[in-house]
Amino acid sequence: MAVRESSRYLARAVPRAFAPSARPQAFLGRRNASDEAPSRRLSDQLDELETASSLTTAVSDSAAKSFDPATRAKGRKTQLPRSRYQFRSPKYDRGPLHPHQPPPPSDPSSRLFVPGPFSLPRAEQTYNSTVASDILTLCYVHTPPGFKVPPKAPRLREWDDSSPYHKNRPLRGPRGGDVLRLLRKPIKFNNIPEIERITVHSYVKGAAQENSGWLHVAGMAVQAISNVRVETFKSKASVATWSIAPGRDTVAVKAEMHGETMYHFLGKLIDVVLPRIKDWPGVKGSSGDSSGNITFGLEPEHVAMFPEIEVNYDMYPPKMIPGCHITLHTTAKADKDARLLLSAMGIPFYGKIVQ
Amino acid sequence: MSMHTSLRRAAARISSSTSTILPTGLPASQVKTTTFVCSQCRHATLLRRPKRPYTFTQLITLSDGSAFTHRTTSPAPVYRSTRDTRNSLLWNPSSSKLMNVEDDEAGRLAAFRARFGRSWDANAPAAELASSGDTKDAATTKAEEEAAKAQAQAEQEEEDNLLDLISSFGQEEPQVSGKKKK
Repeated sequence: MAVRESSRYLARAVPRAFAPSARPQAFLGRRNASDEAPSRRLSDQLDELETASSLTTAVSDSAAKSFDPATRAKGRKTQLPRSRYQFRSPKYDRGPLHPHQPPPPSDPSSRLFVPGPFSLPRAEQTYNSTVASDILTLCYVHTPPGFKVPPKAPRLREWDDSSPYHKNRPLRGPRGGDVLRLLRKPIKFNNIPEIERITVHSYVKGAAQENSGWLHVAGMAVQAISNVRVETFKSKASVATWSIAPGRDTVAVKAEMHGETMYHFLGKLIDVVLPRIKDWPGVKGSSGDSSGNITFGLEPEHVAMFPEIEVNYDMYPPKMIPGCHITLHTTAKADKDARLLLSAMGIPFYGKIVQ
Repeated sequence: MSMHTSLRRAAARISSSTSTILPTGLPASQVKTTTFVCSQCRHATLLRRPKRPYTFTQLITLSDGSAFTHRTTSPAPVYRSTRDTRNSLLWNPSSSKLMNVEDDEAGRLAAFRARFGRSWDANAPAAELASSGDTKDAATTKAEEEAAKAQAQAEQEEEDNLLDLISSFGQEEPQVSGKKKK
């Protein structure tokens, strides 16, 4: 079969003159003039083939020696002209219906483009090389072949049709409260929990009570320790004792780190800053928002221990150095997994571990 | 303005409805009004270039001599740490060097503890005291055998518990702490 197939393809591939024709032409009474044309003759077609191979051609020595693009580029006095058309992103986003759309932020020509990453942080290497596989091993659940997971009750309950008013109602919430927890799937190779982002947040009450200097100092300190520009926020709640009104006073700064910056911050925090805190018991075991985000706080004197603040400590007014809350957002769906990840990365937990 | 609206409505009509006849002669009130999901916004928002603080590469040397680089806003090229994860007790709980162990060469503190020690600082365990007075050989051997059996059983149970703990780590959903049950 295969041989026949190949012969069919071969017949299609080789020129007409080589191929055996399906019909024996000799028995046909009709003759065409083109049958005798010189282009159809085999010998002529073979003559057209070149005998010399391109691989055997030799480059002359002088040409090879004179080819030196590096020195030529160095010896150039002026820059080469740039290409004729260079795209410039529009300065304004004029809405989705405008014909001139800005490119996506991942495009290097976009105004929102942030280049990077430029380094592979130590904490990220640790995560990729050891922590991820350790978590995968720890969370492995063996099920014997043929085992079927017993079906769980639905998260949102049906209404029992005891009342006619139950018709078309939305489903009931879970038992024991209205909070619908995140769905925790078994941890496999493709959903190993990892750290998603880190938020450093600092609420400065002095900014509302005294002057904005507090906010400026807090912003500079948080920017110094986190390597990213901070955002400021107005208060949402009214605190009468601190004379803070909602929407009036700018009271908080926040820095949000992703990716490379985040891992640099995490490595610095774990290896240098946290061990220097005197009598620090660790992160409280009951912290967390039960969906995989762990928060802990640092006092002002602990924030002053960051190497960036320590290196020019005199720049900051010593009273105004802020304390901060550090939130570690992970992709874990439960606090238990998040704590497993963070303790593997080197953050100690103390007290009663609440799952 | 009116021309634009009529055009838009006509276009929307074409795209949305499946009717074959285009209602061109109808007044605007009779034509079905369509709401556009993608509403035009008239203002232009400035695309601000993201601002990033300048960062330097810094070499951090830990107290045991290991070093790594990181990006930081501090301009110092090298940071030597005196206290870090390598020499703090919280990260090395089993290190005897870091624990403040009392040196008790003469054994005075131990003697004091043996005499006045209460539950947490009692030197001598209770089992030693109990086994000091041996009266009947047969009884003690029986008791020893039973104790050995019990210990073996306890060990077995502990192993089972450990295996259970390992295998049941990721099994169950985190328990919802519901106080009232409906």
